[in-house]
Amino acid sequence: MNDNHQNLVETMFPSDGSGIKPYEWMISPTRQRQWIDEKGIFLWLAFFFSEIGAGLYFMSLFYSFRPGIVIGWLITLVLGGIIHVLYLGNPKRAWRMLMKPNTSELSRGMWIIGVFAVLGFLQIITPGGFNMVFNFIMGILCLLIISHGFATMNVVRALPAWSSTVVLPLSIISGIWVGHQLLQLLFAMSGNATVVSGMEVWAATFFLIYILCIGLYAWGTWHMSDVAKISVKKMLEGDLKRATYEGVGVLAVLLPLIFTLIMWGGSTNGFLVFLRLASVLAGDLAIRYLIMKTAVYNPLI
Amino acid sequence: MPRWGMVIDVKRCIACWGCTIACKEEHFLPPGVFFNRVLIGETGKFPTSSKLIYPVLCNHCEDAACVEACPTGATYVREDGIVAVDDTKCVGCRACMVACPYQQRTYYDEKTKNREFFPGQGKTEMETIGEKLYPFKLGTVIKCNFCSERVDEGMKKGLTPGKDEDATPACVNICPVGARVFGDLDDPNSEINRLIMEKKGKQLRKEFGTEPAVYYID
Amino acid sequence: MTYKTDEIWEDKWVNTTCGVCYCGCGAKVRVVNGVPVKIEGIKETTMGGTNAGLCGKGVAGLMYYHDPNRIKKPMLRTNPEKGIGVDPKWKEIEWEEAYEMIATKMKKIMEDDPNKILFTNQTMRASDGPHNHPYFYAQAFGVKNNGNFIIGGGSLHCGNACHMLGGLIHGAWSIAPDWRYTKYVLKWGSSKGTGSGHSAMTNARLRADAVRRGIKEIVFDPMGNFAGGKATEWLAILPGTDAAVGLAIANYIVNIRGEMDELYLRAKTNFVYLIKEDGTYMRHEKSDKPLVYDTKAGEIKEYDDQSAAWEDLALDGEYEYNGEKVRPCFVPFKEHLKQFTVEWAAEISTVPAAKILEVAKGWVDNAQIGSTITIEGKTFPYRPVSSVTFRGSQGHTNGIHQVAAIDLMAQLVGAEDVPGGTLGWPAIRRAYPGGNYEQTCTVGTDGVIVPSVFYSHDPWPVHAPSYPATNMGCVDVWTHCTLSHIPYVEEVDYIHEKLGMKAKPEMIFGISANFIISNSDWDVAVRNFKDCFVVQNDLWINETDQAIGDLILPDVSYLEKDCWSSEIDAFFFSGSPSYEDWFVHLQKPVAKPIGESRFFMDVYLEVAHRVGVLDKFNAKLNDYYRIEDPELQIKPGEKLTWKEIGERVLKWVYGPDKEKIEEQGYATWHKSIEDVYWRWEIDSRCPVYMEYLIHDRRNMEKIFEDSGFDHKKLDMDMDQYTPLPSWFWPESHKDLDDEYDLLAFSYRDILHTNNTTFQNPYVDEVSQMCPYTFTITLNTTMAKERGFKDGDIICIENKYGVKEKGIVKTMEAQSPKVIGIAGQGGLWADGRPIAKGKGANFCKLLPSKLKYFDPVAGNMETAVAVKIYKVN
Repeated sequence: MNDNHQNLVETMFPSDGSGIKPYEWMISPTRQRQWIDEKGIFLWLAFFFSEIGAGLYFMSLFYSFRPGIVIGWLITLVLGGIIHVLYLGNPKRAWRMLMKPNTSELSRGMWIIGVFAVLGFLQIITPGGFNMVFNFIMGILCLLIISHGFATMNVVRALPAWSSTVVLPLSIISGIWVGHQLLQLLFAMSGNATVVSGMEVWAATFFLIYILCIGLYAWGTWHMSDVAKISVKKMLEGDLKRATYEGVGVLAVLLPLIFTLIMWGGSTNGFLVFLRLASVLAGDLAIRYLIMKTAVYNPLI
Repeated sequence: MPRWGMVIDVKRCIACWGCTIACKEEHFLPPGVFFNRVLIGETGKFPTSSKLIYPVLCNHCEDAACVEACPTGATYVREDGIVAVDDTKCVGCRACMVACPYQQRTYYDEKTKNREFFPGQGKTEMETIGEKLYPFKLGTVIKCNFCSERVDEGMKKGLTPGKDEDATPACVNICPVGARVFGDLDDPNSEINRLIMEKKGKQLRKEFGTEPAVYYID
Repeated sequence: MTYKTDEIWEDKWVNTTCGVCYCGCGAKVRVVNGVPVKIEGIKETTMGGTNAGLCGKGVAGLMYYHDPNRIKKPMLRTNPEKGIGVDPKWKEIEWEEAYEMIATKMKKIMEDDPNKILFTNQTMRASDGPHNHPYFYAQAFGVKNNGNFIIGGGSLHCGNACHMLGGLIHGAWSIAPDWRYTKYVLKWGSSKGTGSGHSAMTNARLRADAVRRGIKEIVFDPMGNFAGGKATEWLAILPGTDAAVGLAIANYIVNIRGEMDELYLRAKTNFVYLIKEDGTYMRHEKSDKPLVYDTKAGEIKEYDDQSAAWEDLALDGEYEYNGEKVRPCFVPFKEHLKQFTVEWAAEISTVPAAKILEVAKGWVDNAQIGSTITIEGKTFPYRPVSSVTFRGSQGHTNGIHQVAAIDLMAQLVGAEDVPGGTLGWPAIRRAYPGGNYEQTCTVGTDGVIVPSVFYSHDPWPVHAPSYPATNMGCVDVWTHCTLSHIPYVEEVDYIHEKLGMKAKPEMIFGISANFIISNSDWDVAVRNFKDCFVVQNDLWINETDQAIGDLILPDVSYLEKDCWSSEIDAFFFSGSPSYEDWFVHLQKPVAKPIGESRFFMDVYLEVAHRVGVLDKFNAKLNDYYRIEDPELQIKPGEKLTWKEIGERVLKWVYGPDKEKIEEQGYATWHKSIEDVYWRWEIDSRCPVYMEYLIHDRRNMEKIFEDSGFDHKKLDMDMDQYTPLPSWFWPESHKDLDDEYDLLAFSYRDILHTNNTTFQNPYVDEVSQMCPYTFTITLNTTMAKERGFKDGDIICIENKYGVKEKGIVKTMEAQSPKVIGIAGQGGLWADGRPIAKGKGANFCKLLPSKLKYFDPVAGNMETAVAVKIYKVN
């Protein structure tokens, strides 16, 4: 067997089980690649950063915590926005994405981010910016941005695992949970132990809902259709198994659960909050990665 | 205004891949890029299993998921039903690629452009000339256009798409078994409407709800 | 479409002939700035698919021109050591040096014995080059017959038995169903109409219309892929067992159902010929003609005695002639068939008995015996049933009986060369109106048709085996071989020694044949040919060139070729077999030759000139085209290029329309309906009872005895020399045991023509999108039981320890007792990097011992008992 033959085996039957055999393309459930493989990894990060930034901004509104909204605004726009634009084939034409808000979720997202950028900036620079109206508008915008990534995916009817109804609640609660965690850490870092401790009851609540939504998503997707079930199976088999068990099981659920139990009743500790956040962020990345990586199209024949 | 559509007779098709390769030559597509493919599968159990052969291409859907997903309006449905991409507007976000349930779109980037048919041996004259004759723009999404250049130029010359070779998609012309018929879906007397009616033409995965303009008969 | 830019100074279409397989469809090529960029079919032609239809590999033919791996100068081996895996250390040389080297060697050999030169030919290159010319080119060197030819392409897997019977029954090289009028088609190991066989796209077009019309197409095949996958019904059969089913169906027709086209049998077959006790014809003492019994007159007459009406000729009874008992050969034939029950056939073939019976019933029901059809005012017997075969079923040691059995059922209902039945490609080529070249078949001894043109040797009249053998192929002894198997046989030295063959080959000269890897056991092939000085005209350095080639001359691809002769004489297997107008395409150059490549025909002419045989070859050309006009004849001493010769021949063949035809790239004229459905127009008889085999056996056994050639030691089964189509186990089945328990077989993938297409990047990339092309197929359940899954790399090993590796792909539609490999992959030539390592090579697994070849027609046993196991 010479090199070419080995290459052929690799092309047709990749040993890591990742790709698709070329002849099974759209004959067997076929994995979505554009928004996760190769440069597509940018989109994963972009959605993640927009979400956590907006999550932080959102939670900061409840505490009228200006550093929180500044950091959240920056994360969403600088990290989320720039990475997003870098993903584009023609970044210079990015403004064109504002052209079709009537049908395109992506376009709507661009508008929302645009409005968020402007109003957020105004809220940041306006003394007394944390008023009801501003907060309400920005809160809505934040929720929309939090869910933007998943909403964009959710409208793809061709990918059953993404069009599941639990996707949106999951994305919103994950944004809130992560944002909340970030905020808690910021407070911890600024030495505001009382607030940190007071936030813990919400942490526990959000975390609980978050775990519930993850469970619901997995259950719902499994039962949704044969093709959607394959997405869940893909998470549990092969190379992705580790990401699922370690990323979701341990980092997103188990470790935060342990830390939460330790801090139960408000006995918070800055270091533990940091550890939990780190774990939660990694877990969130893992969940997003898995959902993007395992989405499969319905075969055509 | 006609609405162009296609009927593919899977009973006639012998999976020779003429459509796939003729399309590649017509559009000077680099290695790994296909606007036409042939799906080969099988169904049933031995000894009564049967082979499935489905040539696929862009369905030029009436309610195209790609058009809906496109944030810039670069992807649009022409008046004659052809789903086209305006490469001056495409930002390369690939939302259309993700959205297409038929997966008929390709992202044209440096990597794709630089591929050689004879890897490591440089581009052939055909590839070089193709880049001039049929240039694609980097960072945009490309797809089957029902050979709209042929259709448009042919009609300008007074030819009838589906009947005259010069006004008909390359994959239709090349099919050695006449498995492809191109014509006007809005014309009740067209050959393709007759075939759809008589042979109970089916759209591939109608349940996706995109109203494909490509029908299959068997 | 045209995107004119300022840099485009030329954008045109040129009509030519496709050269990717042997079918020769009409093709047109778009040329931009001198560069071919697109290929399509020609809408008007009947040679090719619907409209401008062309198959995928035909479209992909463009890459032959663009392949940077093509050799551009003559390449000379500098490493005297030969073999697989040995670097030949090529050196580029000048043409002049190459020519001198060839001429010097040839002249020296010819002083001794011209039979020491072997000529190669290529089935794949047939239509892209002149057809028959390489055969009679060899004759100019003093080589007498086909025993000096070795071929690549489809190699010996191709149709020795099919061509033999095609010639004897239809006067044609190949057969096809009459798609236009048939209702019921049986295909046996053949993909006619679904991508393979002669005039593949013509047949595909005709078949597509037929299936749309609602015909039934039943395919007997080990796998339900190209033919079976498209059939109305696919019946899984074990390789090489078709004859059993065919004979059972024949038995059903004759002895159970008892419905036959008796008039046909009396008029068009030799079933009425009277035979003696020993099975040979009783012949007229003066005329030597076979005899028949006229029941009306109550007397024995010569078979062609006009006083006897066809319907009065006896098919049964027993008579006396000159005191000797005689009977029509149909009598023992009928009796002989009784042993072949459907249950027996089911046991052998694995096709369920009920299915065989169903097919047999369908066959007779659809045959409409006695019915007629009127087409364009002309009335013909109408028999809308057709039974066709090609490489698959005939490629076995029982090949001749396989083909005979499959043909037999058509004979019994009279479905030969009549509307709806099995057609040979036209046996007659009519002259172009105003032109001169006409080829008409004749009726030879015993009323058997003699094809007007046939490759390598005429199947009729049968030449009596003689001895000593004069050439490597020993066709003096094995007279029925279209192309001989002996050159590839492991025991060749023994055979040559015993049969007195003194012309041990010293040189091989010819066209890009890849005969080392495309026949059977590679090592035997290398051993048998490596001592020759091997000169090939080739596009690349292929496996054969790399292993044993000495001097490789750069040939042009069909896209650069100016070949006026490509289809003129190919009517008997190319073009439309159906009632459609004649189309003869020229091969017009669409681009300039790459590098210093030269059209092999011009190289042939130059070599002939230098060796001093050019006049002889030219004379043969004059004869072949029967050029009578002295102005156009090539004169002694004239040295013309192939193009210049074409100027004369085309003038002769097409007369005043020559320029017009050259301009448009093809000639077309009306084919008369009688030339399609000729069976009742030409007074000939099919030798269904193969009486000649009795004489062959006697002669051969005499030769073996005289020469001391121990055919029994080599397991050569002389029992197959029987006049009655019979059942013989293929050699591969005899090798099956508990360890080697699977039969490996190969099949033709629609994307590939032997191995040349493996080097085409367009074809390569779509091949990877096909589940089966580059893989080894196993039945899904069988694979599971044995612990194999898709993507496993397995080793296939035959009983002689020959191994080949490949990738597993499971499929439901395959017999659980076989493994399938598409054609000639597993390539390794450095000169063809795209092809390298793709697919698996089936041929090398085929043992080369004499017993693995059909003792009559020389077919190779193209199934092999193997074991498979996983490798890491």
